[in-house]
Amino acid sequence: MRTRITYIQKPQAPFDPSQATLTPSALAIHNLDAAREERVTLGFDELPGELWQVLKQCHQIHVRWARREGYEAVSPFSSRVSPGLHVFFSPVAGVASGGATDGGAGGRVSSMESVCTLLKKVFDSRLGCENVEKSFITPPILSTRFASTAAYQFYELLPSLENLVTYLQQKHCERDNEECHRRAELILSADSIDINYDSVSHALTMSGYWSKSPTPEGWTETIQKYEGATGKVEVGLLGAEAANEPEEIKMGGLLADVGSDTELKPTLFSFPSRHHPLLDEAEYSVSFSPPTGLHPTMTISMAREALKEPPGGPEVACALHAYLTLPSSLFGDKYQLSTTDDLFLKSHNLVALRAVAGETDLEAPDWFVSRWGSSWLLELDTPLDSDQGSEDWNVTIPLHLRYLHPSASGYRSVSIPWPVVFWACTAEDGTKMGMNPFDRVNLGWEGLFGPRTMFYQLHPSPLNENNVLVEELKVPVLTVKENSGIFQSKVIELGTVAVIVLGFLWVLWKLALVVRSSGIRPQERQGTGKRDKAE
Amino acid sequence: MASFFRNTSLVYGAAIGLRVILLFHGAWQDAHSTVKYTDIDYMVFTDASRYVSRGDSPYARDTYRYTPLLAWMLLPTTWTIPGFFSFGKALFSLSDVIAGWLVAQSLVLTHKMSPERALKYASFWLLNPMVANISTRGSSEGLLGVLVIALLWAVLNRKVTLAGILLGLGVHFKIYPLIYGVSIIWWMDDTKTSTSSATREAKPKTKPTNPSTPVVSQILNFITPCRIRLTLVSLLTFAALNTAMYLRYGTPFLQHTYLHHLTRIDHRHNFSPYSTLLYLSAAADGAPASSSSRGGSGNFESLAFIPQMLLSIILLPVILGKKDLPGTMLAQTFAFVTFNKVCTSQYFLWYLIFLPFYLPTSSLLQKPRLGLLVALLWVIGQALWLQQGFYLEFLGASSFVPGLFLASLGFFAVNVWILGIIVSDIRGCSPV
Repeated sequence: MRTRITYIQKPQAPFDPSQATLTPSALAIHNLDAAREERVTLGFDELPGELWQVLKQCHQIHVRWARREGYEAVSPFSSRVSPGLHVFFSPVAGVASGGATDGGAGGRVSSMESVCTLLKKVFDSRLGCENVEKSFITPPILSTRFASTAAYQFYELLPSLENLVTYLQQKHCERDNEECHRRAELILSADSIDINYDSVSHALTMSGYWSKSPTPEGWTETIQKYEGATGKVEVGLLGAEAANEPEEIKMGGLLADVGSDTELKPTLFSFPSRHHPLLDEAEYSVSFSPPTGLHPTMTISMAREALKEPPGGPEVACALHAYLTLPSSLFGDKYQLSTTDDLFLKSHNLVALRAVAGETDLEAPDWFVSRWGSSWLLELDTPLDSDQGSEDWNVTIPLHLRYLHPSASGYRSVSIPWPVVFWACTAEDGTKMGMNPFDRVNLGWEGLFGPRTMFYQLHPSPLNENNVLVEELKVPVLTVKENSGIFQSKVIELGTVAVIVLGFLWVLWKLALVVRSSGIRPQERQGTGKRDKAE
Repeated sequence: MASFFRNTSLVYGAAIGLRVILLFHGAWQDAHSTVKYTDIDYMVFTDASRYVSRGDSPYARDTYRYTPLLAWMLLPTTWTIPGFFSFGKALFSLSDVIAGWLVAQSLVLTHKMSPERALKYASFWLLNPMVANISTRGSSEGLLGVLVIALLWAVLNRKVTLAGILLGLGVHFKIYPLIYGVSIIWWMDDTKTSTSSATREAKPKTKPTNPSTPVVSQILNFITPCRIRLTLVSLLTFAALNTAMYLRYGTPFLQHTYLHHLTRIDHRHNFSPYSTLLYLSAAADGAPASSSSRGGSGNFESLAFIPQMLLSIILLPVILGKKDLPGTMLAQTFAFVTFNKVCTSQYFLWYLIFLPFYLPTSSLLQKPRLGLLVALLWVIGQALWLQQGFYLEFLGASSFVPGLFLASLGFFAVNVWILGIIVSDIRGCSPV
């Protein structure tokens, strides 16, 4: 087991050497104003049995979770995913590619179902995860050669990680290990959580990111060395420095290997990075302009600062993108959005639909959609001159609601996570993003670009007082009162049947009159007066 | 005004001119406005044609639910020649005009009208802005219109083989023309040949049926070479087309062209009186058993085909068929659309083509007050529904009940009343 804890301080944040005191067995941090990342790596043999039973069937599995509330993502942790739980999964080779859905592939069936069983156990027993085939979508894979992209993708807006904390405390922490319980509970205040496993390293890493300490005084904790020789605890107190190259990030500060170092060692290092921050002012917000009806339009409003192309050489090409994660109740019309009609694209400030995966059926009601929803990568247009004008730049995305189950009120609410918005720029040849000790991949959207792409993340800036990056849509549905009111389902049934039977009888009656007066033979031609008499 | 209809080329010129203007207007609007003139279905057809042009299946396009013939027919829309994208719209518009011409030709036969008077009634279709609009926007209903009216024209002119081919083709295209098979076969007895001035059958073999003839000989009398020929030719055409399409495109062809209509759940709001019930039952089927909103009640919606089929396939053709074929076809279509489990405004075009045959002898024109009332109620019935639909679709108000529920039942009531009037009108007159 290895632990790495990194504190990232902003340049203006105060730091006094007395805030970090290293002893032979522990590092004590006192009131430190910083963002924090903690990464724990567990070997295969350190995992509980039920976990590795499932993991050994995975080629790779990656979990990404982000909280509903807005938070600051400081460099080098500037990448984001939409709020909620994202799971990316590939089964081990041999069971991965289709064909054997029937009895022959017993191992596959179990891996496809056990992943869901485990996710439910760990995150929430109510997750809409039945098995991988039914509940996961298959994102497009750009290149099988660099197949870092997982084959299957799952998403659900999971507001809280309480279940994960309980799971860790029960399965991982020893009963009397209070430190372990405390560290697990800290997850409740995390802004994002990553869990990674792949069959190459056979190691499970779990990392959490906190943009600030849960208490206003800052971080105060004592980081103990591991008992025994196997574990390693590394701590870094770092801050970003000005980098020399546009694709690089430079970090400087203090490092300590708790238990072996006797003092904090100063450090300064730089590395090429996939993810880069933009200026604080490069903000965006998301809304649905009312009335939303059955065809809501998502508006992404961006500050002018966000529209300036990121720095780079003349060969560097950049484009602004949004990656939407839509639950099944809301979807885009891929034919509408992939149009090449300039009038349509210009009117929405869109350039093109670059990728789409998942449930894009244009007609199915929500209850016939088994998978969680769909993901959309759209390239966004930018004004010719981003300096001109001061008002926000709006991109609009026309979307459509599915029919939902009837309810007593006549409405149902669906929660739509904000998309992530970013610039994607080509990096110079030979840039090796993997050298980054803080690299982050398998976010859903980054795999849709080549391996040497740099991303500049816009900062979501919630407009609402709850500070959440989730929009609620009120969807009109059929009103069905279970036990009271006129519009119970029985009334709709009987009313419809009665009206149709009456209508049918009326036509039968008219036909009977015809048969009685003239039979079914053709009429003799008797002039026009005949009909009037028959009336 | 009368001189206008005397000048044939003027009427057809106006019909064509109207469509040409709309075609150009549509192209202009599409190029200059984000509110497109072109119908969304046309994008589906042309997308499917594009797939076909690349050697793929037209069913690669989601929601393409038509015969591959349509995608093949529209292949010129994939050519990169300026303006050829509108080829399909031009084709549909041309079909419209030909349909109108056939209406005029048939009216002369059925109603013994002067060509001038026939053209006047045909203009109800030819110069109808709604018809021209739908075709120039790229909806394929015009194509169906010409097929159906050509079928009637062929039957009236005793071109039995042609009629069989057209019937088979029509059913292959859109299933519902099947209902006309019954009325045509029923109508096609010898008595018709005596009034027809057109090409006769080679040998007049059946005698007028005597009411007292025993059942067996009645049945034998019913089985005439004409009827056999029509049935066989139409079945053969239908089977040949379907076999060819199945061999070429396999299960997706069957699934999307036919089976889809059997398994579809029309849960979305539409004019049909069943729509609220279908939403309710579809949602209950999709729900886990515990949260089912309707416990143990009957599946009335699965019986919906009974009144629809009884009327449009059996009762209307049998009772009215021999009196007035085009009138019966109108009543059948009207009943089919009114009692259907799904109904959108393009379905109204299906019966609009027959109105020129019905109007000359209808009480709606003879009693203008009644006619006006019918037209008014039909429009109001739709307007009320559309208003509720607008509340739901664009304002997000939950107007399923009572709004849309009552509006669709109300519209159904209006339609059923109109159907009653049509039935009563047909009993009195026998123009054919």
